[in-house]
Amino acid sequence: MTAADIKAHIDPIRHEYADGRSLVLPALKYAQTEQGWLPPEALAAVAEATGYSQAYVESVASFYDRLYLEPVGKRVVSVCITLSCMLRGSDELIEGMCEHLGVEHSHGAVTTPDGAITIQEAQCLGACDKAPCIQVDAENTIGPLGQSEANALLDELRAADRPRELWR
Amino acid sequence: MSDALPTKPTMVTISINGKEVQAKPGTILVEAAAQAGIEIPIFCYEPRLGPPIGACRMCLVEVEGMRGLQTACSTPVAPDMVVHTNNEAAATAQDGVLELLLANHPLDCPVCDKGGECPLQDRTFKFGPGETRFVEPKRHFPKPLDLSTEVAIDRERCIACFRCIRFSQDVSEDGQLGFQERGAGTEVATFSGEPYESRFSGNIIDLCPVGALTSIPYRFVSRPWDVQNAPSVCGLCPVGCNTELTMREGETKRTTGRPNPNMTVEEGWLCDKGRWGYPAAWSADRILRPLVRDANGTMVETSLEAAVDAAARLIAASSATQILVGAASTVEDGFLAQELAAVLPNAAASRLGFPDSADLEPLRALPRAELSDIDTAGAVAVVGGDVTNRHPIVELRLRKLVRNRGALAMVGPRTSPLDARATFGARTAPGQLSSGLAVLAAALEGASAPLIIWDEADLANEPAAAAELARIATAAGARQIELAVDVNGRGLRALGLPCQTAPVAAGALVAVNADPLESPGAMAWADAIDGVGAIIAVATHRSAITERADVVLPTLMHHEVEGVLVSTTGRAQRLRPGSRGPREAAAAWELLIALSHRTGTPLPFRTPAQAFAAVAAARPPFAGLSYSVVGDEGAPTTHVAQSSAPQRSTDAVGDGIALVVTTEIFGDAVSWRSDALVSRRTPAHLVLAPQQAATLGLVQDQRARVSSPFGTCILPVVVDAQAPEGAAFVAMGPPASGTSALLAGEQVPVNVMIEVAE
Amino acid sequence: MPIMNNVYRHTTAGKHLTDLADYEAAGGYVALKKALGMDSDDVLYQFHRSGLRGRGGAGFPMGRKASFLPKDSPHPSYVVCNGDESEPGTFKDREIIEFNPFQLLEGIVMAGYAVRSHQTYIYLRGEYEHQANVLRAALAQAKAAGYVGDNIAGSGYACNVTIYLGAGAYICGEETALLESLEGKRGQPRLKPPFPAVAGLYHSPTLINNVETLAALPPIIENGGDWYAAIGPEKSPGSKLFSISGHVMKPGNYEIVLGDTTLRELIFDIAGGLRPGRAFKTCWVGGSSVPVLTEEHLDTPLDYESLQGVGTFLGSGGCIVMDDSGCVVRASLRLAHFYRHESCGKCSPCREGTNWMEKILQRMVDGTGRMEDLELLDSLFGRISGKTLCPLADGAIAPIKSSIKYFRDDFVRVIENGSPRPEPMWEVAGV
Ligand SMILES: Cc1cc2nc3c(=O)[nH]c(=O)nc-3n(C[C@H](O)[C@H](O)[C@H](O)COP(=O)(O)O)c2cc1C
Ligand code: SF4
Ligand code: FES
Repeated sequence: MTAADIKAHIDPIRHEYADGRSLVLPALKYAQTEQGWLPPEALAAVAEATGYSQAYVESVASFYDRLYLEPVGKRVVSVCITLSCMLRGSDELIEGMCEHLGVEHSHGAVTTPDGAITIQEAQCLGACDKAPCIQVDAENTIGPLGQSEANALLDELRAADRPRELWR
Repeated sequence: MSDALPTKPTMVTISINGKEVQAKPGTILVEAAAQAGIEIPIFCYEPRLGPPIGACRMCLVEVEGMRGLQTACSTPVAPDMVVHTNNEAAATAQDGVLELLLANHPLDCPVCDKGGECPLQDRTFKFGPGETRFVEPKRHFPKPLDLSTEVAIDRERCIACFRCIRFSQDVSEDGQLGFQERGAGTEVATFSGEPYESRFSGNIIDLCPVGALTSIPYRFVSRPWDVQNAPSVCGLCPVGCNTELTMREGETKRTTGRPNPNMTVEEGWLCDKGRWGYPAAWSADRILRPLVRDANGTMVETSLEAAVDAAARLIAASSATQILVGAASTVEDGFLAQELAAVLPNAAASRLGFPDSADLEPLRALPRAELSDIDTAGAVAVVGGDVTNRHPIVELRLRKLVRNRGALAMVGPRTSPLDARATFGARTAPGQLSSGLAVLAAALEGASAPLIIWDEADLANEPAAAAELARIATAAGARQIELAVDVNGRGLRALGLPCQTAPVAAGALVAVNADPLESPGAMAWADAIDGVGAIIAVATHRSAITERADVVLPTLMHHEVEGVLVSTTGRAQRLRPGSRGPREAAAAWELLIALSHRTGTPLPFRTPAQAFAAVAAARPPFAGLSYSVVGDEGAPTTHVAQSSAPQRSTDAVGDGIALVVTTEIFGDAVSWRSDALVSRRTPAHLVLAPQQAATLGLVQDQRARVSSPFGTCILPVVVDAQAPEGAAFVAMGPPASGTSALLAGEQVPVNVMIEVAE
Repeated sequence: MPIMNNVYRHTTAGKHLTDLADYEAAGGYVALKKALGMDSDDVLYQFHRSGLRGRGGAGFPMGRKASFLPKDSPHPSYVVCNGDESEPGTFKDREIIEFNPFQLLEGIVMAGYAVRSHQTYIYLRGEYEHQANVLRAALAQAKAAGYVGDNIAGSGYACNVTIYLGAGAYICGEETALLESLEGKRGQPRLKPPFPAVAGLYHSPTLINNVETLAALPPIIENGGDWYAAIGPEKSPGSKLFSISGHVMKPGNYEIVLGDTTLRELIFDIAGGLRPGRAFKTCWVGGSSVPVLTEEHLDTPLDYESLQGVGTFLGSGGCIVMDDSGCVVRASLRLAHFYRHESCGKCSPCREGTNWMEKILQRMVDGTGRMEDLELLDSLFGRISGKTLCPLADGAIAPIKSSIKYFRDDFVRVIENGSPRPEPMWEVAGV
C-alpha cells in the first residue's frame, strides 16, 4: 500500500470535508486493508498521503481499537465480553475458542502460531440481543453462538482466505 | 478624539476567597487570582501553548451560581463573580485530583532530577493529598529512555498533561511527539520510537511539570538546593532570548527559559543551540591560560598579570594601535575599546562584522516593532534572511502568526520550512529581491498592524530593493524588524564603532573577541597581518588569530560575563554571569580597563555598570538607560540616524554563479564546540538546485571546489529540489571549514566558480 | 401495554425497508417533500412543538438544541448524526440503520433543511461496517432519486450526506469526542463551552443528534409536532426503541410509548421474562452508565421523569437484565473494566480513577478485597464524580455506586470469600 494508492482512495472524497485532516482515519482504515494491520511503513504512507506527521498519524491510529499497530492473523475474531454477553457466557465461549485453536487466552489479543486467526476480547459490539456474540473482521456480528458453532466457524475461517476489502 | 467614544468598563470586580479583585474583562480566573496573590494549582494550563484544554482538572474551583466545580484555567472573569479556590468543595477536589495523579506516579522524588523544582511535588505539598491509598503495584515502564540525545523520558512519571505534545504539534509544529494508546495506557511517544529531533526540543523539558522529561546533559548534575540561578540573555544569535543560567560550584550547569518568560522577546522558548551551547565553555580549544610569545618565538603560559603587562608594553612600543572588537562583545566592551583608543596615542577602535550601510537608513528609520508584535499583525512580510537557522525564535513567532490567521509573505533566495505556511511567497534569484516585492506589497495592503522583517545583509546588497521596501512599508503603515547579522552588531554600531573591513597595517592590533583571519575577507587580512607590529588577542577559544598573536589574554563567554547586548530589535538586555569562567580568564571590559592602567592613562571605570552609565551619557541611542532601567526584561535603545554610514559597493565581484550564504543553526562554532550538541552539528556544505548541479557535473555528496576572487574551499554537495536554480547556496559551517574565505571583507555580493574537486 | 408502531416505519410495515420503493410504499419521503415546501423556521418550530427529546442518552429537547445554532454565522452549519452506539446494552440505532435506513436519511436531510445546512455526516461506530454498507446502498438510491444531493425533490435545497466510520472507541459517542474523531483527531472530548451548536465541527455551528432522534423527525413533520407531543406523558412525549438484553428470554428492540409501559412489563411481557426458576436481581435500564434498579422499582413507568424519580436515567434505552444467577460484584467489575478500557485518558480523574476502580473490584473478585475498600471506592467516587471533562467517568461510577448501595451484602460476601466463577450461565440455542 503506497502513499499514491492511499491518495487515490481519499482524493475522491476530499471535497466532502472542510479540513483534509478528516481523511486521516479513512486513509488509515484503507491502509489496513491489504496487510490487515498497520506496520510503520503503512503509517508513513498515510502520513505522506494526508500531509500530517508520522507521529500524528500513529498517535491517531493507536487511539482506536480496530486499527492494529501489531501484526494480526489473516482473520480477526472479536469476542464481546461486555456485560450482556458476559451474562450469557462469553467468558466460557472465548476460553473454549482459544482452547479449540490451541492458544492461551489472553486479555488482549492472541494469534495462532500459523498466523491464521487472531482472537481478541472486544467491548460491547452493539449486538447484545445476539449474546454471546462475535464479529469476524468487520463483518456483521453473529450470535448467539454456542461453543460448537463457534468452533465450527473457526475451522471454516482457517480454511478460507481473508477477504481483501474489510474497511472503508 | 477618543474622549468622545463611549468608554467600555475596563475592569471587572470579582471576589476571590472573599478578597475583592479587579481584572480586565476576559481574564482567565487562574490569572486573575495570581494577580491578587492567590495561587490556583494547575498542570495543563499554559497559555503559550494555545487555548486552555482543561485536561488535568487540577484547577477546580467553586464559582457561586455555577453548577458543579469549574476549571479556573478556562473560566473567564465575569462581573461580580464570587469564586472560592480553597473552600471545602474546591480543596477536596484539588486534593482528590492530586491523589489520583499520584496514584500511578512513582514516589521516587529523592532520585528524581526534578525533585525540589517539581510543580507536582510543590502542589502536593501545598494542596496535597491528605492520604494516598493506592496499594496496587504501580505501572512500570523501562526506566528513563532517550527521547533524543538531549532529552530523556521517564514514562512512569508522566501525568499526561499534554504540554510537550502541544508544544511539538502546535508551537514548533514539528509534529514529532504524540500521545499513543489511550486511557491509563496513554504515553508520550515519537513515531516508531525514533529520536525527537527538533530545533526547539529542549523546551519540552521546561514545560514538563513533573520529572518525566529531563535534560540528559543536566541529568544528576546538581540538585536545586545546591544551585544559584541568574536571569541572563543568550549571546549566540542576535535574537537575544532571555535565559536563566543555573550555576553550581562556579560553573553554568544548565540554561533554561526564564520562569517568567519575556513575552516581548522569546516568550520563554529557547532554541536547542541556546539551551545546550554552554558546554562550549569546556571544549578542548578553550583558552584557559594567558600566553606570551618569548624571545624564541614560542608561546609560553604566564599569569594574567604578566600577560597584561606584556600586552601593555607592546602597545606602548607601537606607533599606532588598532582595537578591533568582535560582534559578540558587549556594549561595555565596545565602549571601553573606544575609550582606550581615545587615551592611547594614534589609536582607533573599530568593529569586525557586517558593514554599515547608508542604504539601510530608510528602513531603519521606520517605526520599530518588537518580536511580540508579529503575533498580532494582520500581515508580515519577511524579506531575505534565514530565520529558521539564524533567528530561530522568529520562526516560532511567524508560525504563531499563521495560527492566528495573519498573512505571511516570504520573499528571498533561501528556501524555508515556513514557505509551506506562507500565504504569499516568492523565491527570488540572488540579487533580485526587487522582483518579489510586488507580491509583498499586495500582502501588506490593507492588513491591520502590518510588519516587515528584513535581513540586514540581503538588503544592504540590494539598495534598490531596500528603497522600494521602505516605500512599500511606509505606504502600508508597516513597522519593521531588522534581522541583524551579528550578535551585538547593533549595539556596537550604536556606539559609533566603524566597521573595519580591511586591515590597517601599522602598530599593534588588539583583537577583542574578533578573529579577522576567520572572517569574511580573511585572505586580505592574512596578507596584511605580517605588517602588523604586535598582535594582542583577547579570546575565548583558540583560532587563527590566537596562533599568530604575541599575547593571548583569555576572556569570558557570554554566559560568564556581566554586560549589555542589543538585540536584533534594538532591545538593550543584560547578561549576567552564570559561571566564573576559567580562573585565569577575565572579562574583556576588565582587560581593557587593565590595559588603560598599564599604559599609563587609567580609564575612570571599575565596573561594567559604571561603563554602561557612561555609555548612556555619551551615546544618544542609549540615552536614559542604566542597568536598573534595563532591568531583567530589557529596554529599547533609540535609533539615531547614522549620517556617516558609508555608501557600499553592491556590484557582484567575480565570475560564475551568485553565492548565497547562510549559517545553519547547528553549523556554527558553538555547536561544534558543545559536546551536548554532538549529534546535531552540521558541517559546511554547498546546496545546489538539481539543474544547476547537473550543469556543473556534480551529484549529491560529491565534493566541489568553490572559488571566489577572495579564496577557495572544498565542500560536500547537497542537491535540493527546493532550491532556486542559478545560485550556489553555502552553509558556512565552523571556522575550520574555511568558507569565510570566499567572502569579501566588505561582504559585497560575490560570484563563485564551482568545479568537481578531485 | 401497547407496543407502538407509529414512528419507525419498519416496525409498522413489518419488513425491512432497505429498498427505496418499499420505503416510499410505506409512506416514506412524503414528509420530506412537505418539509421542503415549508419555511426552514417552520420546520424547526414543528420539531420544537413535538417535544422530542434526544434519544442518545442525555434526553435534551431536539428542537431547542437545533434553535441554538446561530443563523448569522459566517461559517457553514453542519448536522452530525451520532451513530456511534457503543453504550453497553444498546443496539437500537443498529436496527434503524439496518432495516430502515431511508427514514434516517429522510430525517437528517430534514434537520439539515431546518438549520440551513448543506453538508451532513453520519458517524457510525467502526464495528458497524455491515450497517454502513446497508446505509451506503440506501444513500446511493436516495441520491439517484433526488432525495439527497443538489435540488432535493425539485425544491432547490441542496444537502449532501457523508457516512464516516469510527474505528473502535466508545468515547467517540460523546458528542465533542465524535467531532474530534470526525476531524481526523484522537477522539477526546473538548472543553465546553463553546458548545457544538456554536462552534462544533470545523469550528462551525453544528447540530448533533442520535440516529433514533433524527429518524423520528419524518413522522413529526408528516403529522405535525403536536401529534407527537400528544403521545405519552407531557415531558417525555413520543415512542422510543428499547434494547433489552441479558437474562431475558426474548432479547431485542421494542418500540414502546413512553410512560405507558412499566419496567416489569418490558421485562416480563414484552421480552419474555426470565428463565424458569430464576428471580429478578437487577437491571441497568438505560445502558450500562446509569444507576441500577432492584425488584422494588419494577413498576416504574418507562419515561424520563419516572426513571429519574427512582434515581436512575432512561439514557439510551438499553436495558440489561440480570437474574439471581449473576453476581453484582462481577458485573460491576466487568463494567469497571469496560470504562477503564474506554476512558480516553485526557482528564486525570477519569484516566486514573477508572484504572484504580477496576483494580479494587478485581481484588474483591479475586478474594483479596478488604472491608475498607468499600469506603475507599465510595471516596474515590466522590473524587471523580463531577470533576471530569466529560460524563464518561460519571457513567462509570453510577452503576457501581448504586450496586454497592442496593447490594452491599453481596459486596461484603465477595470481599470475605471472593466470587466463585459462575456456572456456564446460559444455554445457547444456536445460530
Ligand atoms: C461517554 C459518552 C458516550 C456517548 N455515546 C453516545 C452514543 O453512542 N450515541 C449517541 O447518540 N449519543 C451518545 N452520547 C451522548 C452524546 O454526547 C450526545 O448527547 C447525543 O449524541 C446527542 O444526541 P441526542 O440529543 O439526539 O440524544 C454519549 C455521551 C457520553 C458522555
Ligand atoms: S472523563 Fe474520561 S473519557 Fe471523559 S475526557 Fe475525561 S478521560 Fe476522557
Ligand atoms: S490547569 Fe485547568 S484543567 Fe489543567
